[in-house]
Order: sequence, then structure tokens, then C-alpha cells
Amino acid sequence: MLGIIEAMINGILMGSIYGLTAVGLTLIFGVMKVINFAHGSILMVGMFAAYWFVILTGWNPYFAIPVVVPLLFWFGYSMQSVIIKPIFEAEKDVREPITVIIVTTGIWYVLDNLALMIFGAEFRVAKTSVTGKVFEFYEMYFLLPKVIGAGITLVCGIYLYWFLKHSKMGKAIRATSLDREAASLMGIKQAKIYNVAFGLGSACCGMAACVLIPFYYVYPTVGVPFDIKAFIIVVLGGLGSIPGAILGGIIVGIIENVGAQFMAATWTELLLYGVFLFVLLVKPSGLFGQKHDY
Amino acid sequence: MRMFKPFVVPVVALAMLAGSFGAVQAAPDTVKIGNIIPLSGPSASVGIQGKQARQMAVDEINSAGGIKALGGAKLELLFADSKGDPTVGVTEAERMINSEKVHLLTGCWNSAVTYPATQVAERYGIPFIVPVSVRDTITERGFKNVFRIAAKDGWWAKDQFVFLDDMKKEFNVDVKKVAFVYENGDWGVGFAEKWAELAKERGYEVVLNEPYPSTASDLTPVVIKLKRAKPDVVFMTSNAADAILLTNTMAEMKVNVKAIISSGGGHADPSFLAAAGQNAEYLFDIVEWEADLNRPGLKETNDKYKQLYGHNLNGESVDAYAAMYVIKEALEQAGSTEPEALRKTLSEIQVCGGKVGLLAYDCIDFDESGQNKNASLVIVQTRTKGKEMDRITVWPKNVRRAGYTPVFPQPEK
Repeated sequence: MLGIIEAMINGILMGSIYGLTAVGLTLIFGVMKVINFAHGSILMVGMFAAYWFVILTGWNPYFAIPVVVPLLFWFGYSMQSVIIKPIFEAEKDVREPITVIIVTTGIWYVLDNLALMIFGAEFRVAKTSVTGKVFEFYEMYFLLPKVIGAGITLVCGIYLYWFLKHSKMGKAIRATSLDREAASLMGIKQAKIYNVAFGLGSACCGMAACVLIPFYYVYPTVGVPFDIKAFIIVVLGGLGSIPGAILGGIIVGIIENVGAQFMAATWTELLLYGVFLFVLLVKPSGLFGQKHDY
Repeated sequence: MRMFKPFVVPVVALAMLAGSFGAVQAAPDTVKIGNIIPLSGPSASVGIQGKQARQMAVDEINSAGGIKALGGAKLELLFADSKGDPTVGVTEAERMINSEKVHLLTGCWNSAVTYPATQVAERYGIPFIVPVSVRDTITERGFKNVFRIAAKDGWWAKDQFVFLDDMKKEFNVDVKKVAFVYENGDWGVGFAEKWAELAKERGYEVVLNEPYPSTASDLTPVVIKLKRAKPDVVFMTSNAADAILLTNTMAEMKVNVKAIISSGGGHADPSFLAAAGQNAEYLFDIVEWEADLNRPGLKETNDKYKQLYGHNLNGESVDAYAAMYVIKEALEQAGSTEPEALRKTLSEIQVCGGKVGLLAYDCIDFDESGQNKNASLVIVQTRTKGKEMDRITVWPKNVRRAGYTPVFPQPEK
């Protein structure tokens, strides 16, 4: 019994971290209606940045947050304005520009292979002051970096939700996501909103990267497993919904951890994809997604 | 101009055809060796070490005058990245044989890739030397072109259990419950099948049989299950990435067992030791070779490799290095690059001493199924040595490093 509770809590902890990586993806999709396949690679860039920060300065990895998050915001912002914007302009009249998806896939391959060439294929682990520390609670052990990570996710989630609901920029972003022509009629510059949204999405990746570094290893294709999970979570939670992303992440984490107690770990992947398919069949717009498609 | 158009294609085709005939007749002044190994993905660091070892061997052979029986022909290495993926391995094997026209193939480290890739080589009749891919079935299909240097996984698994028996006797410790944690590919599953048989023979209770995906992003659920099962001894088969995750998580969750016996592969990878550090203390690993064996020429070769590439040789790199010398011997004896002649020479050859002497045994000699008869194994224990981790040979007892007593069972965390 204790094993199941331990698994459940571990699932919630790891799941919220998965959710954090998914928040960026859902934001970018919700606003720009673009499926960003380069999302995993942006996470990878963030993780390398956090890794080098910790190795070069030897400080606590959470001090990397004020460095890595703005760095990734800028990275996402410039990637959108330099590479993706021209495609949008070329496909002005199309509601869901498919070429952008292809471009993001290209960016994924370029970034991953660039990292492979520059950093090599080995797995790097950063030894930080929080690495390996555990919380003990009634004979159940929880990794400290994961607990901190889950806490940070909660804070980020609440902040983003507040930001989108109440701040001027947040309202502009929501307006653009609902109807971009109407929003530009109201004086909102579509291009700027897209840049900010992409930057915000990448900044979320940066936050997730700083949270992962204390207990996960970095290598050029580290983005891929997280990317795949992020897609499942985003569909589960509903495209464009931030609470949906975090909740979806927690659900995925719980399925992974608790499921593994009853069957071999090999089968939990199957279970995960099974649940994914089930949600698609029963409620394609996800838990919190919009019901209609405009 | 228009009336020449229909003639352009046939004329060009004829020219290419004529040209290709010319190329086949010329005697080769390079012997092309295709190498399919993982240069990215979870097994990348071992793949890269295999590449470096091959490079070192070929540079030595070429600067010593190449293959004298072929007029000083040089060896040329071509590398293909299998990414640890069987389908990629097969495509690359086809490409190496058909486009690059290699004379021999070696590879692929991951048993799951080697198994289908060798099938491609068998179909085209190109000799394929397997330095280290242990799945038994690789040399059990009646193929004539596959030659394996390392021992089969059945031998590895048996030696792991014999080692456990010896340790029980030497330290008077009882072991009743065992757990198997292994990656769910060809390699891990092959080991697990043998372990299950051996455990049954010896009357151990198997409290956990847990395959897991090597590319998982989180292995905490596996460790939770392992802890709850309370085994005495854990047998593991992992690639480097998952070995790192599992070892670190097991230390963090304070999983207390009498011993952990791993199966080489990821656990033998220097990047695993660098990343797991002290968490890997007291781990027992089975490999075909270790840098502290007392073998002629071993120290010089290891020092040279370490100087070039920054770390010690290990099982894969040593077998890859030896494979290049076996190829050199075969070419010298056959005196030709004809696949059938090479194949026949390889099946009869016996390569002893010299550069091959730095292996844990004296000669490489392939039997009718292509398996090296003399392949043997050693078990090492990992201990901290200053800032790094050291792997100390402990078994068989006659090759144990002088002055070292193994720690069994390992102390509580």
C-alpha cells in the first residue's frame, strides 16, 4: 500500500515537471495555432545553458533561472521573428499554416545535430548542491530537486494564468488566439504578439530546464522523450489551456508511476499511449480545451 | 540539337556501364572496412570508443606498411551511425555493401542491431566480424559469414551465477532472493531468459523480473518496485543512460541489497562511472576485459590509447582493436579481398599473441558457427579511488588484482 502512495506522490512530482515543459507548447499552439516540433530542442538548449551555468559558476542551479529564462525568452523571440515570421507573412490568408510545422521540424533537426557536433554525444550530469538529496517521510523517499521542481511549476502555472487573465499583454495574447483579424482591428500588432508568445513558451522551457538539471542528464537529443510526452499532455489537457497542461502532466506522471507498480515498466508506455488514444476518441478537445473549432 | 535528345540518356548509361567495368578489374590498393556502430543515442559513448580503437589499430597497421600480401594495400575505415536502431543498421549495411563496396563489415555493439545487420551481410556473402554483441542467436543461425570475438550471453550469464556461488562460499553469506532489472531490447531480454533458467537450477527465488525501456525519462517507478521487493542480489543489464539513472536513483532511495551484479554494456562505459560516481561503489560488473589484467603489451597499448583519447580501453574498444588485427591477419593469409577467400580464411584462422595477446586469453579461433572458442570473462568491483572510480578485477580468483579483497555483501546505505 505504501508503495502505491509513494508511486502516486512521485507521479505527481514528476508529472508537474512534465507539465511545465508542456505549458510552453500549449501556449504556442493556443496563440499561434502552430504545432512547435522544435519544442524539445528548445528544452535541450535550455538544459545545456543551465548545465554550463552550473559547471562554470558552481552555484545553485536555481540561481540559473534568472539567467536561463530570459536567455531562452530571447532565443524563442528571435527564432520566431527571424525564421518563422516570414513564413507567416507568405501564408497570410491561411488559418493554420502547415509550412510552419515543417519549418519547426527542420529547426528541431538542425538544433539537435548542431548540439551533437558541438557538444558530442556523451551524457553529462551536473553535480549540484541539491543533487541526490531526499526527503524521508514514513519510509517513503522523495527526491528534493523533484519536490522543488513541482513547487516551481505550481508557482509558474499560477503566475502565467494570472498574467494571461489580467495583464494587458496577457489579454492581447488571448485576443489574438481567439481571432487574429479582429485583434489586429483592435490595434494589437499580430507579429509582436506572436514573438512574445513564442518567447514565453521558450521561457517556460528554460524554467523546466533549470528544474531538470539537478537530477537529469543532458545530451543532444534529450528533448525527444520530453517532447513526445509534452504532445500527449497537451492533447490530454486541451490545446491552449495552461491549467490543462499542468493537470495533464500530473495525470501522465501518475499513470507512469502507479502503472509501473502493477506491470513491467515496458508496459506503462503502452498504457500511456492507450490513454492518449482513449481521450482522443472520447473527448478530442482534451480536458479543458475549447469545444468548437473556429 | 533537338534530335540528339533521345540519344543522351543511352549514351550516358553506356559510358557509366563501361566505366564501372574498368573499376572492378583494377587491383585494390585500399581495403575498405565498413563499421556500423552507434555514434548517437543511448550507446553513443561506447560506439565512439569503438571507433577510436579501430582508428588506432588501422593507423598502426597502415604506418607499419599495410597489407604486405596485397602489395602494401592500406586499410580504410568507413563509419555508419546506427543510432542504436535496428532499421538504421540494416539500411546502413545495405548501403555499405552496395554503394560503398566494402570488403568487410564490423559492428554493431547493440545486439538488436547486429542481429539483422549480419543477416544482410550473409545474404550478400560479405564477412562480418562482431567484436562484442552477445546475443547467443547471432552465431546460432547457421550463417557462414558471421564471426564473433566476445563470448555469447549464455556464457556471461552462467559466469555471473558461478561468481555469486564463489562469493557466497568465500564470505559465508547466504543469498535467497534475486531480482532482475534489464533493458527491454534483444540484449537485456536474452540475459533475463538465461538468468531465469540459472536461478531456477540453483533454487533462488526471483522476487522481481522487470524489463524497462532504455530511453525512459524517469526510472523512479522501477526503483520503487525494486525496493519493495527486498531482494538479496540484483542482476542488471543496462545501457549507459539508464544505468546512470538507475544507479543514482537506487542510491537516493537507499535501496539496500547484498550485491548488484551488472552485465557490462552501459555499466562498463566510462561516462557511466563519471556520472554516477560514488553511487556506483561496490557494484560488480562482468566484462571480457579490464585495464588491470596482467597481459603482455596491455599497459603500453592502454597508455597509448589513453594519451590519444583521454580514457582507458574497455571491453568494446579492446575487441574492436583486436578485430582490426584479425582482419589484417586474414588479409595477409588469404592474399586477396575476394569475399569467399576471406570468409574461408577467417573460419580457419588462429590469431595468437602480438596485439591480440592483450585480451584476457591467448588466441582468437572461430568455431564452425563463427563463435570465438576461447572468449572468456572477468568480474570487476567498482571502488572509489581519490576523485575517480576504479574498476578492480576480482574473479576468477587467479586473475584477482593483488592485495585486494572484494567487499561482499556491500554495506548498508
